[in-house]
Amino acid sequence: MPSLKLPILGSSGEGSPQPRTQWRSLDERERGLAPSGEFPPGASEIGGTSRREFVQLLGASMAFAGAAGCLKLPAEQILPYTRQPEEIVPGRPLHYATASTLGGRATGLLATAFEGRPTKIEGNPEHPSSLGATGLFEQASILQLYDPNRAAVLQEKNRPRSWREFLAAQHARANALRTKDGGAGLRFLLEPGSSPLIGELRARIQKLFPNARFRSYTAVSDDEAMRGARLAFGAALETRFDLSKARVIACLEADPLHPWPGSIPAMRGWADKREPGPEMNRLYAVECALSVTGMNADHRLRIRPSRLLPVALALAAKLGSAGGALAAFGRLGAKARLEPGQQRFVDALASDLRRAGRQGVVMVGPRSPALVHALAHAINSSLGSEAVSHQKPVLHDTETGADGLAELAAEIRSGAVDTLVVTAANPLHTAPYELNLATALDAVPNSIYRGLYQDETAQRCAWFIPATHPLEEWGDARAHDGTVTFLQPLVQPLFNGVSEAQVLAAFLGEGDKSPYAQLREYWRATRADAATAWEKWISDGFIRGTASPAESPQVRADAVAAAAQSARFETASPALELNVVPDYRLYDGRFANNVWLQETPDPVTKLTWDNAALMSPATARELGVKTHDAVDLGLRGPPVHAAVLVVPGHADGAVTVSLGYGRRGSEQNAAGVGFDVAPLRRASAPWGGRGLTVTRLGRRHSLAITQEHWSMEGRDPALDMDLSEYQGPGRERIEEGRVPVATMHTPWDYSKVAYKWGMAIDLARCTGCSACMVACQSENNVPVVGKGNVEKSREMHWLRLDRYFSGSEEDPRATAQPMLCVHCETAPCEYVCPVNATVHSDEGLNEMVYNRCIGTRYCSNNCPYKVRRFNFFNYTYNQEDVEKLRNNPDVTVRSRGVMEKCTYCVQRIERARIDSRVQERPIAEKEVQTACQQACPAHAIVFGNLHDPAQEVTKRHGDERHYFVLNDVGTRPRTAYLARVRNPNPELT
Amino acid sequence: MAISAAARLEARRALEPLPLLEGEQDDGTINKTLLDYVWRKPGKGWLLLIGLGLAGTGLLTLALVVTIAKGIGMWGNNIPVAWAFGIINFVWWIGIGHAGTLISAILLLFQQKWRTSINRFAEAMTLFAVLQAALFPVLHTGRPWFAIYWLFPYPSTNRIWPQFKSPLMWDVFAVSTYFITSLLFWYLGLIPDLAALRDSSTSRWMRRIYGTLSFGWRGSARHWHHYKIAYLLLAGLATPLVLSVHTIVSYDFAVSVVPGWHETIFPPYFVAGAVFSGFAMVMTLMVPARRFLKLKQVVTARHLEAMCKIMLATSLIVGYGYLMEHFLSWYSGNPYDFYQYANRRGILHGPFKSAAQDPYIPIFWLMVFCNIVVPSIFWSKFGRTNVYVMWVASIFINVGMWCERFVIVVISLHRDFLPSSWGLYKPTWVDLSLLFGTICFFSLLFLLFLKFLPAVAVQEVKEMRHELHKEHERHEIPEFSQEMVHPMELEVGEEEKR
Repeated sequence: MPSLKLPILGSSGEGSPQPRTQWRSLDERERGLAPSGEFPPGASEIGGTSRREFVQLLGASMAFAGAAGCLKLPAEQILPYTRQPEEIVPGRPLHYATASTLGGRATGLLATAFEGRPTKIEGNPEHPSSLGATGLFEQASILQLYDPNRAAVLQEKNRPRSWREFLAAQHARANALRTKDGGAGLRFLLEPGSSPLIGELRARIQKLFPNARFRSYTAVSDDEAMRGARLAFGAALETRFDLSKARVIACLEADPLHPWPGSIPAMRGWADKREPGPEMNRLYAVECALSVTGMNADHRLRIRPSRLLPVALALAAKLGSAGGALAAFGRLGAKARLEPGQQRFVDALASDLRRAGRQGVVMVGPRSPALVHALAHAINSSLGSEAVSHQKPVLHDTETGADGLAELAAEIRSGAVDTLVVTAANPLHTAPYELNLATALDAVPNSIYRGLYQDETAQRCAWFIPATHPLEEWGDARAHDGTVTFLQPLVQPLFNGVSEAQVLAAFLGEGDKSPYAQLREYWRATRADAATAWEKWISDGFIRGTASPAESPQVRADAVAAAAQSARFETASPALELNVVPDYRLYDGRFANNVWLQETPDPVTKLTWDNAALMSPATARELGVKTHDAVDLGLRGPPVHAAVLVVPGHADGAVTVSLGYGRRGSEQNAAGVGFDVAPLRRASAPWGGRGLTVTRLGRRHSLAITQEHWSMEGRDPALDMDLSEYQGPGRERIEEGRVPVATMHTPWDYSKVAYKWGMAIDLARCTGCSACMVACQSENNVPVVGKGNVEKSREMHWLRLDRYFSGSEEDPRATAQPMLCVHCETAPCEYVCPVNATVHSDEGLNEMVYNRCIGTRYCSNNCPYKVRRFNFFNYTYNQEDVEKLRNNPDVTVRSRGVMEKCTYCVQRIERARIDSRVQERPIAEKEVQTACQQACPAHAIVFGNLHDPAQEVTKRHGDERHYFVLNDVGTRPRTAYLARVRNPNPELT
Repeated sequence: MAISAAARLEARRALEPLPLLEGEQDDGTINKTLLDYVWRKPGKGWLLLIGLGLAGTGLLTLALVVTIAKGIGMWGNNIPVAWAFGIINFVWWIGIGHAGTLISAILLLFQQKWRTSINRFAEAMTLFAVLQAALFPVLHTGRPWFAIYWLFPYPSTNRIWPQFKSPLMWDVFAVSTYFITSLLFWYLGLIPDLAALRDSSTSRWMRRIYGTLSFGWRGSARHWHHYKIAYLLLAGLATPLVLSVHTIVSYDFAVSVVPGWHETIFPPYFVAGAVFSGFAMVMTLMVPARRFLKLKQVVTARHLEAMCKIMLATSLIVGYGYLMEHFLSWYSGNPYDFYQYANRRGILHGPFKSAAQDPYIPIFWLMVFCNIVVPSIFWSKFGRTNVYVMWVASIFINVGMWCERFVIVVISLHRDFLPSSWGLYKPTWVDLSLLFGTICFFSLLFLLFLKFLPAVAVQEVKEMRHELHKEHERHEIPEFSQEMVHPMELEVGEEEKR
């Protein structure tokens, strides 16, 4: 057979005189062959097979395939469970306690599983970090479990390897390192953690490799807070807040009203005291970009980031001007040099705090300088604040920020690092720019990265280990208050994931040990009661009574004052400032591939599928830009292409950008979304800096914003009034929203049925955090439509969060309002449907019959609330098999051309009904919780039977703040809203 | 009296309407004028237009296939604006389809003789326009394969009936009834002419085809007797439909709660608008057709002038409708309505500054220009008699009436009750292809009609000639009066003084 003389990949080109170099572009030809070969990393190749071998294999395969055809296959039968596993009833979900960690701290969860398939995540009501609620990140983590983009193969330099091969390779290498110099070349860069098991593994590794070094890194680190605590107390201490004990709360760039890790108890505590009355709390926010907390503040001071320290100092000075513990600060007030408006704010806040005394508290966000933290400690201590307590850090490392990373990079460059184990979440993406971590990682001879995705870091490391999802691993961690919490797997790792503890154990020669055995053995050795209490711990999800004890440190006011005295304050200058924030949806970028979060609108800007350069209207005018304009942002490095988004209430002279976008890993959903802010960040100033330049590119970058219209146009959909107005003329406005509207028809009589379902949403409690949106999406199989369709206003969220601004554009009042089907008793959608596809149940639910719907969309036109969603395309046709597993089997997956909307979680009602009928009793209040209600950290949403006067929903329907949105249209909604009442300081109004 | 006879004649003629038939005609010449072109070879122009029509119809087919294969998402519709081009086109075409029945049935019942020359033309236009309109109600649904039969009340095994409270349900009946009646009415009128074509056909195949189509019409007195009764009955049946169809189409909007839709004035205002647009479309088609098919002797300036007058009248009704809508939006004190109309105008009061930037405001003003300003040219005799003026005006009116439906459907929906849900609508290429494609498909059908069927009701023209002739013989009308004009006076008021 004549040779075709075609070059065959991997062969030396048998028969051809010279091996030819392959190239895909001229550029590549000049640079030489790409190191990864012809195919991109991760693609499977036939390694080392020549053409002849290939043909031989092909032939043999054919032959054997034919041979196989002659075989009689063994008879296989599909059988039901011959022995029913205990407690599993097909079609009945079971709930397991587990947890997820973010920022190193655990949130206790309950995972719902159908026949061993987790489908939904709820909060663990007993757990101190959850209280039964969850944030967006926890809700959306179920999607990450089934993400088909997750990495599934352990690799060494893009070649698949087995776990055993990894163990063998590392064992030899680690032994060599140990005998050489006690493991001086061994470095660990871990995700900040609080796991007792990991702590023990670290201690043992340290013993074995005395010169090895552990570091933790996260983009959203508490370094400044720790430094502040060291300055104030002389020791690194964490601060816990119990806002239910606070009457005056001052947030200095703190954002406790968004469900960040550990924020849920603060949200609950704050919300519990928003009833109008003497006990009502008052919230002050001092911040640059409008945050969720700022939207809910009674007073808000917008400042450039560099002015935060002067404001904090002026506050301490004002409080100290009358003597007392803060007397040392009294004379520093002049140093702050505040503008008159700011001084007025600070004066009023100070006197309010002084009046509140033990019920006053100052909170500082993690991004603020250490001195601000120290000042807050001094103020809180001088107030004797009951809302504050201190504890020893729950994290293993008190330093988790960019400084440690800078040290590591320097060590690598000096050649000191031989083996680097990275389990931190994609540090390459969030690392400060000047560290040039990518090249540093390239220089490490043996780098190992464990991650969920083949992200930026994975591409630079020699070894890649797929990580387990929290729902796939055994583990433990501490809650924000130190409570020991357990992670219990619900499924076997779907993508061959390996837990962090297993990776560490590999360096102890215990890489074979099962994660369960590791955990069990550790706890058996640690706690004497493990033998008897283990099952209870696991089924509870945590060990009761293990919260860290409160410390009572003394504030060294003089040291803080001395630091404030010597601190250099930036003088006022017109230079534009940069303000970097963690993203409300993607956090630091680890959730970038999570389409639920990508499509959840930002709680403040309502932006989806992008980040943007946020700026105030005045700054935008000054720069001559407007929303959707493409600009270059430059700060000490190469420019970043961004899109402008003008936001009312943003501080003038500053631009806010968020982390987590512009990803360049293998995550398909994250590719091309937003811009990477890394070139703007420095290890010395990770959260911003001065001298930002904004250059117009003259192009347009279309942003997908779900709510373009900010104004209520003089209508009253979301009532938001001051306490004084509420006690006066505001009542009339509320009453107008609930007067019965005259009708010619006799209203349907619902008194004959046992249940009259209804909902009540307290706007005073709602912070707008949007956790309910993701919870609804997860419970009801709500599809994701992508950026293009969001731009066309086709998002599918059954529950949306409307956000209105009123007042001036500099200092607007922002009002959030969850809007979902209000289940009108006289529903305009029902009578216009020509095929009877939307009908009313006798219990008052407005029901949607998907099978009957032909998609005329008339119901949506006639819905005054515009809460109906239409499947303009078949949004679910391309679900991969693994993605289908996360669908809730109780809810139909809708097809193209069908209308859908909130059902009041009818599937949950029906489940409760079945149970109650079997047991011949009425459905109890606790049995039916809608998904949004269950997730809400602030208890803003309640649902229940309006016939039962004892239920919370009935009480709220009788509350004097209750009203119905668009009451005058005569729809008689079943969802009542409770007007938001603000509690402004009379001194400032 | 010093006034000469010629001057008297001139003075008299100025007061008289223009003639209905021009020149000395007999049945033979009428046959020749009105039927001959069927046998002629198609001209280059006709073939070119057919080609364009076919191309546009191909585009329409593509748009239909894409819509059905991929979903409504191919259109620009979204959640505040769930109805857009689909419904606009539907209402527009249905409106256009009104002139035919009005001309045929109502004018027949009122014994308006002048309708004779244009009724066939108008009926065909009605039929083809309703055909275009009929595409949309099914096509605009998300699942047309179910919509086709779930909308009809039939006793199905799952015992689910349609929702009889829904105006869309009423639409199904109204439009299908209208289509069937229009079809029957048009076809019944065609039968004697088809027979005439059969009789004058030169080829065997043509004779067979027209023979079959004419159902064996022989023109006996008995045939004529039944024919006349049937025609009159159908006219009686069709008359209420003229009012009912567009009334019910207007209910699609009026029955809802949407500000800008929930208007009690809608039924009469929609009917007037439909007649307005229907006549405009007849005009748009008639002016070139009478020129190229050499029908000037039967479709005279008088016909055109009468149509101009009707357009003027309906324009005034429509204008009154606009005025009332805007007045009532203020007078009712309903804030949503007030905002809706203020937002359309773009002339706002008080706090509604945001609406000033609404991108749809020019469409409202274009509508006002096309539907109110342009037809005022028909107040002048010049406007009513100059075919160029009236042709251009009729096109403006067609555009204006399309804009009116855009204003009602899209502008009302895009800003309704909750400002948070407001959003804009932008058409996609599929939307534009559907609009353009239906226009082409309509033109294609019309061109085929003009080629293969008599565009003017020949038998009615002959009948009219006979009647006129008899009246002349009985001297019931003066010799120089309206219906018969001698060749010497032919150029009166006509533009074609070539």
